[in-house]
Amino acid sequence: MLNDFCAFILTHGRPDNVITYNTLLKHGYTGPIYIVIDNEDKTAPKYYEKYGAKVIMFDKVAVAQSIDEGDNFDDRRAIIYARNACFGIAKKLGYTYFIELDDDYTDFRYRLNSNFEYTCVRWDMNIDKIFGILLSYYQSIPFLSIAMSQGGDFIGGDNGFFTSIRRRKCMNTFICSIERGFIFNGRINEDVNTYVNLGSRGGLFLTIPCVSIEQVDTQANKGGMTEIYLNSGTYVKSFYTVMYSPSSVCIRMMGTHHPRLHHSIAWSNTVPMIIPEEVKKR
Amino acid sequence: MGKQNDLFGSDIEKADLIDKKYTAKIKAPIYIPKQRNPSIYELVNTLKSDSLIEEIKKSNVTNLEKDFLIEAARRHTVFNYALIADYYAHANKEMQELMEKSALVIIDFDKAIEYGYVKLSEDIADQYIEDTKDAE
Repeated sequence: MLNDFCAFILTHGRPDNVITYNTLLKHGYTGPIYIVIDNEDKTAPKYYEKYGAKVIMFDKVAVAQSIDEGDNFDDRRAIIYARNACFGIAKKLGYTYFIELDDDYTDFRYRLNSNFEYTCVRWDMNIDKIFGILLSYYQSIPFLSIAMSQGGDFIGGDNGFFTSIRRRKCMNTFICSIERGFIFNGRINEDVNTYVNLGSRGGLFLTIPCVSIEQVDTQANKGGMTEIYLNSGTYVKSFYTVMYSPSSVCIRMMGTHHPRLHHSIAWSNTVPMIIPEEVKKR
Repeated sequence: MGKQNDLFGSDIEKADLIDKKYTAKIKAPIYIPKQRNPSIYELVNTLKSDSLIEEIKKSNVTNLEKDFLIEAARRHTVFNYALIADYYAHANKEMQELMEKSALVIIDFDKAIEYGYVKLSEDIADQYIEDTKDAE
């Protein structure tokens, strides 16, 4: 088991469908798991019934008042509040390091084999060991957060993701520290808003391509943020990041079978380069 | 990163930042500045912000409102961080320090990011062998 580390599963309205919990156990996770819910969740009693003391509830309005939601709406069916609440929860529970997980992960997978070649074969990954390796790297570098990649990063094969500057994104599996606190901004698309906005000012984020998560298809899983997405489509969602970085993010159509609007990041115009120390004059 | 993701339309960073084909080699997220010292005029594209500022200056809003709008218009200035890193490599010490303070480049002190990334990749590869040894 990892020291001074815990896993948070951020969930809302899906007490009977916290897929990530079983996925963690299936992959041999032995550390502490906490189910993070908000005080506006009508299904809270069911969460307590099922997970007991593992459930941690936070005050959604209190978090809302402490962050920039990027708009003047009052629809709080979004994950940004839980994302930000985790820093305080970790501190209260006495953990320095934690990982934020969504509730819909069906698998953890290797994306590189031992010859560093792209693979999509499923193996039983020991997630304790993988979390330990990721945490060890995180502790040795000044990044705000690092994350595993996600299945969508490899649509069409490796797609250059292993070497691309796009690795400076960070989504879904945020490994964080209470000693490197940061604030997620923008009611929706909060992950993209954050790594773009803070990234442009020198905040460091990174996706580790060697390992990835698999998720339930977007907007196919009832509860969570599905309803807010279905209400406004991806049109509104995508524009949040444009508001935060109009100089390097625009909106484009994505997909072929079911085309939808999506943000498009000009990475070389978004984040400063990480360069070797030798270049610095003394 | 395809052509559509490059607001500058430059080929320079494309060639340097990505491999067109996966090379089966661990590559840390480090950028190596180029020999060429770009002109400082190449580092930013102010086309959009200049156009907005011109319109603001001609407008009838109050001077305070103009000041605000001009600050906001600068959010549309496009920075080319690859060329900025190239420029940094040729800049004098004082300029370098000011660029660092403004987070225009990030220095990988003691190669912590680069070497750590290689170790991370190797450790995951070792774990892959461990996790698949019974299956292979």
